[in-house]
Amino acid sequence: MAISCKELREGVKDGFPIFLGYFTTALAFGLLTRTSGFSFVEGVLTSAVTFAGSGQFLMMNLYNAGSLFLSIVVSVFFINSRYIFMASSLSQRLLDPSSISGRLMCGFGTVDEVFTVASFKGRKLSYSYMAGLIFISYIGWVSGTALGFAAGTILPEVVQKAAVITVYAMFASLLGSEAGRNAKALLVAALSALLNSLFILVLHLSTGLSFLISMIAATIFGALIYTDKEAGLE
Amino acid sequence: MNKLLLIFSCSLATLLPRIIPYFASRYLSRLPRFIRKCMLLLPVAALGALIFPLALTDFGAMWYAGLAGVFAAFLVSLFRGPMILSIVVALVSTTGMLLAFSA
Repeated sequence: MAISCKELREGVKDGFPIFLGYFTTALAFGLLTRTSGFSFVEGVLTSAVTFAGSGQFLMMNLYNAGSLFLSIVVSVFFINSRYIFMASSLSQRLLDPSSISGRLMCGFGTVDEVFTVASFKGRKLSYSYMAGLIFISYIGWVSGTALGFAAGTILPEVVQKAAVITVYAMFASLLGSEAGRNAKALLVAALSALLNSLFILVLHLSTGLSFLISMIAATIFGALIYTDKEAGLE
Repeated sequence: MNKLLLIFSCSLATLLPRIIPYFASRYLSRLPRFIRKCMLLLPVAALGALIFPLALTDFGAMWYAGLAGVFAAFLVSLFRGPMILSIVVALVSTTGMLLAFSA
């Protein structure tokens, strides 16, 4: 696959907000690995080979709670099962679906934020673009973990807390521009938000299961209220 | 517990669900029309659940600080502001709330 510098740069540019959000979230993760008795190498390795926000936090929480090995791995799989749907969805938007290395890279990098930014790009995605988007996000995640392990306690608490909003602000921003294009987006997102809140806060379902059900239900609702053209179906 | 074994097992449990679908696209494109439409709408549906309720519960008792940030970012982009401006405005709103009410 040919590499286009222009596409690569555009990916890095679009991924910069993800970098900011990941870097600050990973600071907290790095600190958590340290207080959980991981070495620096083990902490950074976790982020480097997994590259998943909620899955990694879940893994550390269960590890600290003294859970069994198998139950940790199965729980991590369940919270990550949403990626099956996200990856399936994103794979339909690739410009050249044949490259094996390109698909491996996209699979490795299909995290929530990369998925949403790429999905709302509104055109077919080249591997160069995806490489830039994934690379900058990955650097933010891994370097944040390293710095969090080394110096997480130095940051003032209010900065640490406020930084949490970055990732959510990104999602809200994507939602805002999508709603500007088609107001039906608000209805669909409101339904998934309502269901997810109900399942987690009232019914106390696990985050992974709750997310999965809410996302699928709202998707079906969306498919019913959007016309084929609005959904982008050729 | 062997930590390295745990790290790599969790890595597999994360990466396999992400990678395998990219190698099944031949089958995915043959799925019924309604299912393919669903795939296209999945991003919009995911957004709501990605934001709520975690954007509020992450702030505990000061959930309104999270809400302020989300709402500010949403408004900026609704009026066609760039994403980076959304994030800056959200950071300012949330930090402001945290500082104002944490006394």
